[in-house]
Amino acid sequence: MSDGIADRSVRSASAADDVDRAVLVRIGAGQLDALDELYERYKTMAYSIANRITADAGLAEDVVQDAFLGIWRHASSYVAGRGSVKTWLLSIVHHRAIDAVRRRRPTSTLPDPELPLPPVLMSPDIWPEVAGRLDAVEVRAALATLSDVQREAIELAYFGGLTQTEVAERTGAPLGTVKSRMRLGLLALRDAQLAAERSTGP
Amino acid sequence: MILTCAEARDLAPAFVLGALDDTEAAAVREHLAACSDLHEEFATFGGVAGYLAESVEPVEPPAGLKGKILAAAAADLTAVAEVPAPAGVLPAAGVRVADVGAAGVPDVAEAMRPVLPAPSAPPPALRFRFDDGRRRPVSTSSWAMRLAAVLAIVVLGGWSLVLQGRLDASERYAQAVAAVVAAAAQPGSQTAIMSGAAAGPTGIAAVGADGSIVLAMRDLAPTAGAEVYEAWVIVGDGGPVPVGSFTVAADGTGTFTASGTAAAAGATLALTREPGPGATTPTLPIVSSGVAVAPPG
Repeated sequence: MSDGIADRSVRSASAADDVDRAVLVRIGAGQLDALDELYERYKTMAYSIANRITADAGLAEDVVQDAFLGIWRHASSYVAGRGSVKTWLLSIVHHRAIDAVRRRRPTSTLPDPELPLPPVLMSPDIWPEVAGRLDAVEVRAALATLSDVQREAIELAYFGGLTQTEVAERTGAPLGTVKSRMRLGLLALRDAQLAAERSTGP
Repeated sequence: MILTCAEARDLAPAFVLGALDDTEAAAVREHLAACSDLHEEFATFGGVAGYLAESVEPVEPPAGLKGKILAAAAADLTAVAEVPAPAGVLPAAGVRVADVGAAGVPDVAEAMRPVLPAPSAPPPALRFRFDDGRRRPVSTSSWAMRLAAVLAIVVLGGWSLVLQGRLDASERYAQAVAAVVAAAAQPGSQTAIMSGAAAGPTGIAAVGADGSIVLAMRDLAPTAGAEVYEAWVIVGDGGPVPVGSFTVAADGTGTFTASGTAAAAGATLALTREPGPGATTPTLPIVSSGVAVAPPG
């Protein structure tokens, strides 16, 4: 990470996060316009992920509202140095979306394996089409580095809301295998992500 | 369930992917909260999960969502004002962590440690309450209560004017808000919370079913000479349509009414400062804006 481009990328991300942290301080002080600002910055990303996971516009709206109100009420629970504000915010949205999906179905009931999966879960070739944005190339490249089973395990969990145990049942693989697929898949994604950041910069 | 460091590490990938059941996830959070090891793998994996989130096809949220969120947030402030909580009240340990965000990053595991200072914290009565008995306090109350809550916070704004010794401004603003309340009570009316830049002008507007607009603003910079504030209505993808103008005296209070405008459900109201009346295109920047939100069903 010693080349200039990567350094610039890191600095740029950090500058954005400084801005976010300042906004968070104002939210903690009860300033509505700061909440407005944070919402404007992340509304699309937050809504997109909620919509993707719940596949239900109304539910996605509830999830995003819950997430931003949670941040409004608990801005102080963000711990600097443990990840960016953006990562934190997206994790809250993701968590609430998964929660909503799990509440919608009895915990003992898995999604019907006979039903076709959403296209993205099936074929990595779809990714470039759905992305349509700057980092589409990075994402495609990153996902291409995963094996099919790694990608399946990660996507069933992250987008499908399945627990690792449910992923194991669904795919017929032992739990230990699923865990290791998730770990290796995430590590491969991280490596690809780092490589992309190094090569493209901000 | 008590986890060792090795066990927590083993669960990290599934944790950031949201793939643990509630018991396991709670155990991980407990471990992270108590452990002296930074467990950097959680931050690392968490960042990768965020990368996955970024890969999703962008979908714009409905225009009215922001208004709902801000209205609910404003209602929080009001709830505190009605029942002032002691300054710096924090949630009971362990209560909210799970709720705020268990999945992605370990930040939440240390949720109880208030790291960020709040240098500009308002007086205790204005601080929002870390209340957690109510997950979504506003959704269960009637629209009338919600509106009352929102209006109360606007009145609180008036109260801060009193504190600043600006009694006249406070009275004028309270009267203006009362006019908005009356308009908002009409069937089919929508409400827009107006906000601007940091510490900028704020206010509230009612948009009637017939396109009438009643607006109350405070903290506007006074107009001078021929200067006016112009109100604009933006519907859908259409351009801004001027609906009228008003001047502002030294007290910073702005009031405005118009009837038969194009304002409709989900319309955006915006204010700009213009060199004179009759502007046909807005002079940027927008001083303050808000989206008209329908009463929730």
